[in-house]
Amino acid sequence: MHRFRLEFPKDVAAATSLLPSHRGPLTPRDARVLAGGQDLLGELKDHLVEPDTLVSLHRIPGLDGFELGEDLRLGALVTLAVIERDTALRERFTVLAEAAESVATPQIRTQATLGGNLCQRPRCWYYRNEEAPCIKKGGAECFAFGGRNKYNAILGGGPSYIVHPSDLAPALVCLDATVTKTAREGTETIALESFFTLPSEGSVQRENVLRANELLLGVHVPALGPGWKSTYLKFRERESFDFALAAVALAVRLDGERIAEAKLVLGGVAPIPWRARAAEDFVAGKPNTRSTWKAAADLALAGAEPLEHNAYKIPLTKGLIQKAFRKLA
Amino acid sequence: MKGARRTDGPAWPERDTLQVLHHDTPRRSAKDKVRGAALYSHDRRVPGMLYGRLVSVPVPRAEFEVDLAPALAIDGVVAAVKLREGETQFLGQAVAAVAAETPELAEDGARAVKLTFRELPFAITPDQALAEGAPQVRRGGNHSKVRPKGDEAATEEALAASDAVIDVTYRVPVQHHVCLETHGVLCDYRGGDEATIYASTQMAFGIPGAAAEVLGLDEKNVRCIVEHMGGGFGSKFSLDTPGRAACLLAKQAGRPVQLLNTRTDEFRAAGNRSGSIRRVRAGANEDGKLTALRIECEKLGGIGRGAGGPRPYHYEPGASYFEERAIHTHTDSSRAMRAPGHPQAAFASESAIDELAYRVGVDLVAFRKANLSDPVWHRQLDRVAAEIGWHDHPHRSAPGRGDGWIAEGIGFAISAWGGGGHRGAEASVSIRPDGGVAAMIGIQDLGTGVRTLVAMIAAEELGLRAEDVEPRIGDTILPPGVGSGGSVTTGSISPPVKIASYNARKAFAEHLASILDCPSERVRFQARRVFDADTPGRGLTWEEACRTLPKTGIGGHGAWDAKLQGSGVHGAQAARVRVDLMTGRVRVLKMVCCQDSGLVLNPLTWRSQVNGAMIQGLGQALFEERVLDADLGLALNAGLGDYKIPGTEEIPELVALIDEEDTREFPIGVGEPPVIPGPAAIANAVHNACGARVRSLPITPDKVLAALAKLEKEG
Ligand SMILES: Cc1cc2nc3c(=O)[nH]c(=O)nc-3n(C[C@@H](O)[C@@H](O)[C@H](O)COP(=O)(O)OP(=O)(O)OC[C@H]3O[C@@H](n4cnc5c(N)ncnc54)[C@H](O)[C@@H]3O)c2cc1C
Ligand code: SF4
Repeated sequence: MHRFRLEFPKDVAAATSLLPSHRGPLTPRDARVLAGGQDLLGELKDHLVEPDTLVSLHRIPGLDGFELGEDLRLGALVTLAVIERDTALRERFTVLAEAAESVATPQIRTQATLGGNLCQRPRCWYYRNEEAPCIKKGGAECFAFGGRNKYNAILGGGPSYIVHPSDLAPALVCLDATVTKTAREGTETIALESFFTLPSEGSVQRENVLRANELLLGVHVPALGPGWKSTYLKFRERESFDFALAAVALAVRLDGERIAEAKLVLGGVAPIPWRARAAEDFVAGKPNTRSTWKAAADLALAGAEPLEHNAYKIPLTKGLIQKAFRKLA
Repeated sequence: MKGARRTDGPAWPERDTLQVLHHDTPRRSAKDKVRGAALYSHDRRVPGMLYGRLVSVPVPRAEFEVDLAPALAIDGVVAAVKLREGETQFLGQAVAAVAAETPELAEDGARAVKLTFRELPFAITPDQALAEGAPQVRRGGNHSKVRPKGDEAATEEALAASDAVIDVTYRVPVQHHVCLETHGVLCDYRGGDEATIYASTQMAFGIPGAAAEVLGLDEKNVRCIVEHMGGGFGSKFSLDTPGRAACLLAKQAGRPVQLLNTRTDEFRAAGNRSGSIRRVRAGANEDGKLTALRIECEKLGGIGRGAGGPRPYHYEPGASYFEERAIHTHTDSSRAMRAPGHPQAAFASESAIDELAYRVGVDLVAFRKANLSDPVWHRQLDRVAAEIGWHDHPHRSAPGRGDGWIAEGIGFAISAWGGGGHRGAEASVSIRPDGGVAAMIGIQDLGTGVRTLVAMIAAEELGLRAEDVEPRIGDTILPPGVGSGGSVTTGSISPPVKIASYNARKAFAEHLASILDCPSERVRFQARRVFDADTPGRGLTWEEACRTLPKTGIGGHGAWDAKLQGSGVHGAQAARVRVDLMTGRVRVLKMVCCQDSGLVLNPLTWRSQVNGAMIQGLGQALFEERVLDADLGLALNAGLGDYKIPGTEEIPELVALIDEEDTREFPIGVGEPPVIPGPAAIANAVHNACGARVRSLPITPDKVLAALAKLEKEG
């Protein structure tokens, strides 16, 4: 294994100063931020990245902050186990708690952090194989496109067809969360929805707007408001632990027999958490019945362009959307 | 069938008189295993030990040259050897190995070995192998000769005259053994003329000879120890590549080397269960009789032959014809895996039986019984049907549809196996003056509970409790064991242990005759006491009796005797599943297995075997498949994250039923048969639930959704 220095900066400024200052995508040798290590250590062991320096966030005070008032504020180092176990959080931000508990295994969740979850790298088989130098790793070809793409994207794909692996991302986008990031140049808060980038938009080599020297500090989740209910339905091929083949983050406000408003975000089907606005608009004011759910599901998947082995994700995701509406009915 | 009874020598007592055997007895090492105190070959550390790693070429096929110098230049890399010259034939085939002071340095060394290679064209899928101008895999060509069996003309005639006919193809992909302990050894050689090999093996006694040859030692001076081992399932019968590499490295370094496969090596190059493609044409008449069965089978065993399995799979068609051939690809060779060939054969046969039963509208259990003459299967099918709730099930001759969200169904399948032992094993039992008893046989325990069984057999004979006997196993300085494959272990080692215990008891009785003042035939051993049968109220405690022994104690030896074991078992399974019609998820709710295996010596570990087999069958049914990229030649799911095996959430209610109507009074092995019917029973249950017929394993949601969509289209 490539030898690296493990740094423990004591504040954010010291941390960012240890990170690379260039503007391009990270090279394999560039310093990396180390949070829970549940993704990064796997990348190191698989020789996908071989950084000279790892910058641990664990000695920076305050990054594991957890504040639940009307709103919810979570520091980047809050673990998924904390998010999953807080009963007050679960009652008000159910979709987030359910997303957290759907991640990996109990052992991993005690280490895994919010920031690491949002910044984790793709699980595409080719990305994870050292021998496959695909576009995502600076190569010329997407091997999944014409290869074994059962788990790849049906929406928003090209030139890379990864699906974003994070479960917290769809849940937090569904809750209209914002994210705060910082660099030597300053601190900025943006909508989480615009944090993630399609491979056709930003650099195909990264999945979000974070630059090489930027740190994610935390997330702010506004209250959903009275009358809202939410849920996260994740479909795992193997329920014991698995990434999503498809996932649905859904929040609805009901008005008697009708759906007043809904927010619908899909996971596991696109390179970013996929907000289904057309479906959200459609259901507003409609009767809360299976035919509405079905029509919403059809709308949400209307633009899907499956590859050779993943067309099943269309009926699967449609089925999950209906199940999610049914669960909240 | 009744077992052979002998009165003049050791015999298994009547079942209801048994005190230790035939009673649930927890395995000896359970606590150690739970606490992590049990030492596997992976856990062994000896002074001065180096860690080894294999090196392979990152493509399926190449002409290569190896330069070890860059590895040896790394500080801490101590030894490096070449394992192969010339060409590689599959991805992961080791060409060199290095040993270093730490596992990390060993990895660095392995990566530093300079490979100069020219990639050669490869054929890693059956289509590639059979294509015009395909690169050659084996000298004989890319497929074997077709082996026909049966009467083709009569079968075609019977098919043409049948009321219902199916013509379908069933596919089973390559499955991995997934031994939780990977293949390999610790070779404790420090120069000189002796070595000890700590091996993860199914055949301890095969190791010293093979290792001695590599080390250039006398076989007598090489010892193999297998204290605990983490599963083999048929893949661990030889010293194998990691073992040979460890010995070569140890010889070069003059220091001990531990080399066990990485998980990636394990997936790419430690064997597998061969895949199969079976085209089945079969017919039945409305009276529920199977008229004809024609199967064309292709075995996918990589550079190996693959396993076929019985033809037909136990059902009795009016006429039958079979063809079988192996297709060779540039992939790792298949190896024996728990009932080689049988799950593949059963999946095709049992699915076809099911499809025909529905075609002619006959109850699925009745249809099976009508086409099986052996009454053992009849009673076992009835038993699992009752346990799974078949008689209250609404869909017994036509599949259900579900309620629009979910559907529930039941499926069945049967199996058969041998399970008898063979000669070769010997055992000794010794009784010490302090009351201690040791039962010794070199056999390895693959995790099945053999260690416990050895103690139980001796305890039964000597009127002791199982925990009073110290079993000594897994070591080639002990009396010889056998290779644990083919479910032969129980049948091979129970007779010698039984006979050794019997002879020890006889000798002890002779010794006690003068002390108890009775003929030795009247000396009884019961409930930790010895006494004269005529005066049971008097006598000695076990400890008092042992104290009368000479310092050297007393003992007995035993060899194998065919009469103390037997062969030939059946089995039937039923599965109940729930299919989520929205997502295609198949959840197995319950599996039931009814299995005969003669006298069950330890019902607790017997049930563990059967439960474990059902879980492994469930994995094959729903998850397991080796995935390769046919163009790049890469293995895409060579790790435990991507190659999915069942976890806790997937385990259904498991019911393992001993077929108590089997009154044979001798033990028969049970390791393999219960792994056979699961995939077929689950596939059949999916169809029974909702009408979706999935003809290729594993039954993943994409396939279920596609089958449901097809149903909807067909109305
Ligand atoms: C077996 C297994 C199963 C898994 N299953 C799931 C699953 O089902 N769902 C799911 O969502 N995830 C899953 N994961 C991924 C899991 O690693 C993440 O969910 C976890 O949250 C990562 O958090 P971490 O703190 O360990 O991240 P790390 O590994 O420490 O970091 C991950 C990445 O984010 C970067 N990073 C971390 N924190 C910051 C920060 N504050 N600012 C900038 N960059 C940062 C790191 O540099 C690194 O590139 C699984 C992982 C494993 C090993
Ligand atoms: S989908 Fe992306 S990560 Fe996967 S092979 Fe294509 S470019 Fe690489």
